[in-house]
Amino acid sequence: MSRASAVLLVLAVVLVSGCASSAPPPPSRPAARPFETVRRVAVVVSGDSRFSVVEHSAEPGRTFDELMKWNSALAVFRPIADLLHRGINWLLALDRTSDTEPEAEAVSPRAVVADAFARTLQASTEFDEIRVVEREPFGDDRRRLDAIIRLTVPAWGLVRVREGEPDLISGFADVRAQLVVRSTGVVLWEAGEDVTDPERLPLASFTGDKQFTRHHLVEVLERAGQRLANELVYARSAGR
Amino acid sequence: MSAGRRVAMLSLAALLAGGCAAGTAGLDVRYPEAGVNRAMLGTVAPRAVEIVPVVDRRVDPTRIGTSPKTGQDIVTARPVTEVVREALALELAKNGHALVAGRRDVALAASVEEFWLDTVVGHSTTQYVGKIAVALAVTDGRTGDAVLARRYIGIKRRATETDSAGEDAERKVMDAALARVMHDLATDPELVRALAAVPATRP
Repeated sequence: MSRASAVLLVLAVVLVSGCASSAPPPPSRPAARPFETVRRVAVVVSGDSRFSVVEHSAEPGRTFDELMKWNSALAVFRPIADLLHRGINWLLALDRTSDTEPEAEAVSPRAVVADAFARTLQASTEFDEIRVVEREPFGDDRRRLDAIIRLTVPAWGLVRVREGEPDLISGFADVRAQLVVRSTGVVLWEAGEDVTDPERLPLASFTGDKQFTRHHLVEVLERAGQRLANELVYARSAGR
Repeated sequence: MSAGRRVAMLSLAALLAGGCAAGTAGLDVRYPEAGVNRAMLGTVAPRAVEIVPVVDRRVDPTRIGTSPKTGQDIVTARPVTEVVREALALELAKNGHALVAGRRDVALAASVEEFWLDTVVGHSTTQYVGKIAVALAVTDGRTGDAVLARRYIGIKRRATETDSAGEDAERKVMDAALARVMHDLATDPELVRALAAVPATRP
């Protein structure tokens, strides 16, 4: 074989190997070691929860937020503001008229997620005691715990999931949790979950029926709590 | 130029023109074995489980989405039934159950109801939403009695910078959706109870 042919052969091999599909990276491992001995936990819910309507617009700088501010045709969105959690929202700042004030039964995303999270852990029978609290336990209440799970719901709301005529929208909730050993402060597990409701609906379904919208959002928040709990249970024996 | 060299040059040109066509044959969606844990399914004494052929019940079985850039269909490298069957097998094996094709304690019949990737292209970000829905029927392997019917839905939503959007991001989203299906299944107390209720015939 001539030198030129050899060079061509080597080049061909290099090119072919470059086309080979790379192996998928290993998944993130939430738990470095198992924590099956953790049986008594308190779930502390904290942090701000921001309601938002996420569009991923193709137009620069034209998010739903801005469209709502400047386009009166989208004023139909205002009833959604009724659902907003107290004190969190940029939407409420838009127009503090009676129809945008939060209702008495306004959705509390952290409470809904925490409740579903605790119920799912309870149903798993993997824990002896699960308590949801709004602040860090102290004294004897703290000493009897094996671990503390800190849970936050940084964002929730509605997201455009499919382009089309009409676009389709789903409820979503982004949740995070961290399990910390009470006596040492060591973080044994942490995870963040983006949760999207399986149902996809036209915008009109949300803007036309406040009760339905509220129900849909509560469902996705519950789903977020369950999802996060399932990941925690799944990670309990990681590494075994 | 000699004839041999001409052939070599032509071969190289063809290779360059063909590019990485083989790499775009579909998304290699899979449930990575390294991420599989022994979970609640492992609390049941080992059962002989037969996974009967997974059925594809999708409305559109020819694709899993459409590329917004090219308008072309997005497909998987392997049939989605095979992807789901492999994931189920990995999860069961990791939890100590024996996969059999005959004398079985339990039969699992899975059907893929949805396996879809939605892409919303924004100005600076591209959002992917992968959704996989699997229906699972558990039957007593000896009597054929239905024991449990469940449905598991895994959804992954991910926004990435439009510049870095592409096949890798698409695959990761579908991998994550599949992992969520399997994690929900592996931590389902109803499924654990159903497996425990079926007597083990194997020693």
